[in-house]
Amino acid sequence: MRPLLFACAVTLAVGPAAARPISELTADAVNNHVLPGYKRLAERSQVLADVAQSDCVSGSPQLRAAYGDAFDAWVGVSHLRFGPSERDDRAYALAFWPDSRAVTPKTLAAMIASEDDIAQNPDDYADVSIAARGFYALEFLLYDDTIAVAGTDAYRCTLIRTVTGDIAALTDAIEDDWTGSYADQLLNPSPDGIYHTEEEAAQEMFKAVSTGLEFVGDTRLGRPLGTFDRPRASRAEARRSGRSARHVELSLAALRDLATRLAGDDAALATNLTNAFDRAQSRAEQLDDPVFAGVDDPMTRFEIEVVQQNVSAIRTVVRNELGPKLGVIAGFNALDGD
Amino acid sequence: MTTSRRQFLAGLLATGLVPTPTWADAGSPQFLSAAALTDGRYVLCGIGAGQNILFQIPLPARGHAAAAHPTRPEAVAFARRPGTFAIVIDCLSGKPKATMTAPEGRHFYGHGAFSSDGQWLFTTENDYEAGQGRVGVWDVPAGYVRVDEFASGGVGPHDVKRLPGTETLVIANGGIDTHPDSGRAKLNIATMAPNLSYVRNGQLIETVALDPSLHKNSIRHLDVSASGVVAFGMQWQGGGDVSVLAGMHQLGGQAELLTAPADQLRDMRGYVGSISFSPDAALVATTSPVGGVVQIYDVDGKALMQRVTAADAGGVAACDAGFIITTGFGELGQIDQGELRLAKMAELAWDNHIVPVGV
Repeated sequence: MRPLLFACAVTLAVGPAAARPISELTADAVNNHVLPGYKRLAERSQVLADVAQSDCVSGSPQLRAAYGDAFDAWVGVSHLRFGPSERDDRAYALAFWPDSRAVTPKTLAAMIASEDDIAQNPDDYADVSIAARGFYALEFLLYDDTIAVAGTDAYRCTLIRTVTGDIAALTDAIEDDWTGSYADQLLNPSPDGIYHTEEEAAQEMFKAVSTGLEFVGDTRLGRPLGTFDRPRASRAEARRSGRSARHVELSLAALRDLATRLAGDDAALATNLTNAFDRAQSRAEQLDDPVFAGVDDPMTRFEIEVVQQNVSAIRTVVRNELGPKLGVIAGFNALDGD
Repeated sequence: MTTSRRQFLAGLLATGLVPTPTWADAGSPQFLSAAALTDGRYVLCGIGAGQNILFQIPLPARGHAAAAHPTRPEAVAFARRPGTFAIVIDCLSGKPKATMTAPEGRHFYGHGAFSSDGQWLFTTENDYEAGQGRVGVWDVPAGYVRVDEFASGGVGPHDVKRLPGTETLVIANGGIDTHPDSGRAKLNIATMAPNLSYVRNGQLIETVALDPSLHKNSIRHLDVSASGVVAFGMQWQGGGDVSVLAGMHQLGGQAELLTAPADQLRDMRGYVGSISFSPDAALVATTSPVGGVVQIYDVDGKALMQRVTAADAGGVAACDAGFIITTGFGELGQIDQGELRLAKMAELAWDNHIVPVGV
C-alpha cells in the first residue's frame, strides 16, 4: 500500500497544482491577444478612413498603404469570429469572402453605373448588400482592372470614402463591445452570463483556433489549389492586391500566438505546437509566390500542397492535445457534424 | 443460420433461379448506419433488432446518411457533402451494385428518399454555381440512372423524407449557401433563409418558414410520423444562445415549436444532429453530439420532457422500446422508459445518422 499512497501524493502535489488554471489561460488570450488585436484593427481602420478623406485616388500609395495596414490587422483577428464581431453581422460586412459567385464586383459595378446615392455616407451604406462593404469590396475599388476605373472619378472617390468610413465604424463598434462588456463576460463566467463556466470560456478560444486553422487550410489555401486537374489560381484570396500568401502567413502567426497562450505552461504541448507551426510557417515563407500562381504548375503546386498538409498537421495537434487540455472531447460527430 | 441462408441465396442469385429477394434475406436489418473504423476505413452497417451488427460493407470515403429501399434489400449510402458519389449496396452479397455520380455542377448533401414503390430515388443536391437547392431523380429499376431533377424550394437542402402513404416529399432547405471550391465555408449566413418545402410530382406545393428572427436557424434534419406530421431539427448559425432547436409541422398547418427552458436548451450548444419520433409519435427525440445530450419532447405539450447525457450522441431512430441511439464512441443503445442504456458495440465510430429500414 505504501508506495501506492506515496505515488498518489506525488501526483496530487505535482500534477494539477503545477498547471496554470484554465481561467488564467483565457485571461492571457483575451488580454494579450484578442483585445490588442481588435484595438489595432479599430485604430488602423480609422487611419484608413482619414487617409481616404484626403486622398481617394485608387492608385495612391498612401491610400494603398493604409489599406494594407488595416487589412493586415483584420487578418490578425479574422479567426476570432464570436461575440462582438458577429453582432449585426459586422464581420460578414467587413469580410465578404469567399465570394464564389462574384457578387462583390457585380454589386459594385451596378452601384457605380447608376451612381447610387446610397454611397453618399457611411450611415446609409450600412444598408447595402454586405458584398459591397468591407475590405474585399475596397480591394476591387483600389486594385481591380475594371472596377477601379469604372464610372467617374468623383463617384468612385465618394465610394472609397464611404466604404472606408463604414469599415472604421464597424471595427470601432466591435472594439467598443469588447472593451465595454464582452471581455468581462469571458473573464468572469457566471450562470447568468454568456459563458457559464471557465471551461466554456476557454472552449470559445479553442474553437477560434480550430476554425481559424480550418479556414487557412480549406479556404485560404484550398480555394486556389482547387483540384489537381482543375487548379483555380484566380480564386486566391485578395490576389488583386497581391496579398494571398501574406494572409496565410499572418493568420498562421496569429493562430500560433493564440494557441501558444492557451497551451500555457504545458511544455510538451508548447513544443509540439511550436514544431508544427514552425514547419508550416517556414514552408509558407519559402513559397515566394504572393498570389499562389504556382497552383497551375505541378512542381510549384506541390510546394503549396505541402503548406496545406502542414496546416492539417497543426490541426491534429490542436485537436488531440490542446482540445483535451481545455476539456474539449474529440467526439467523431461533435468535431465534424453536418 | 442467417449467414448460411444469405450465402445460399447469394449463390442462387448468381444462377438467377430465385424470386426477388427481400430484406428478410439480408437478415432483416432494422437499421442502417455509416461508421468509421479505427483504422480509418469507412463502412455502412446493417443493425438487427437485437442491436447486433448484421453486416458491414466498405465505403470508399466517409458516408453520411443512407436510404433503404422499401422492399428490396438494397441501401444507398451517400457521401457526406460536398461528396459527389453515392453507392448502391446489395445487402445480400455486401457488394456494391451501382455507383451514382452527381451530374456536373451538382453535389450531394448526404440524404435521399425512395418513392413508395421503390421505383424512384430522390436526392438532395446543390446546384452550386446558381446557389440553389435541387432534388435529383434516379430511375431505380434501370440501375439508378439519373433521369430528372427539380427545385428543392430553397438553398442548401439537407434532409428529405417522404410522407407515409403518399408520394409527397418534405425537404429541409437549411438555407446555407456553400460552394465546393470553398470547402464547407458558409457563404451567406447574414442573409440565409431556411425553410421546409413540400413537393409533389416535382411541384412545390407548400413552403414553411419560421419567424424572421430565426432566419439563422438552419432547418436541417427531419422525421415524419405515420400520420404525416413532420418533426424538424435545427442548427443555430447566429451568435449567442438560441431560443429553439426543434419544431413540428403538418402539411396545410402552422409550424409549432418544441420548447425547452433556456438553460436546458443551451446544453444542446445550438445544434441538433438527428431527430426522431417515438414509435407511437407521442415523443420526439433530438441529439446533440456537441452538447453530449439527447432531449426528449412531449408532442402533445410541445415541451421538453426529459434529457439524457450521451457523449457524442449522433444518430437516433424509433425502436420498439422507444429510441435507439448511436454515438461517435461506438456505443449503441436505447432509451427505454426514460432510461438510457448504452453499450460499446465495436471498435468503430457511428456517423451522424441511424436510418430505419422499411420506412
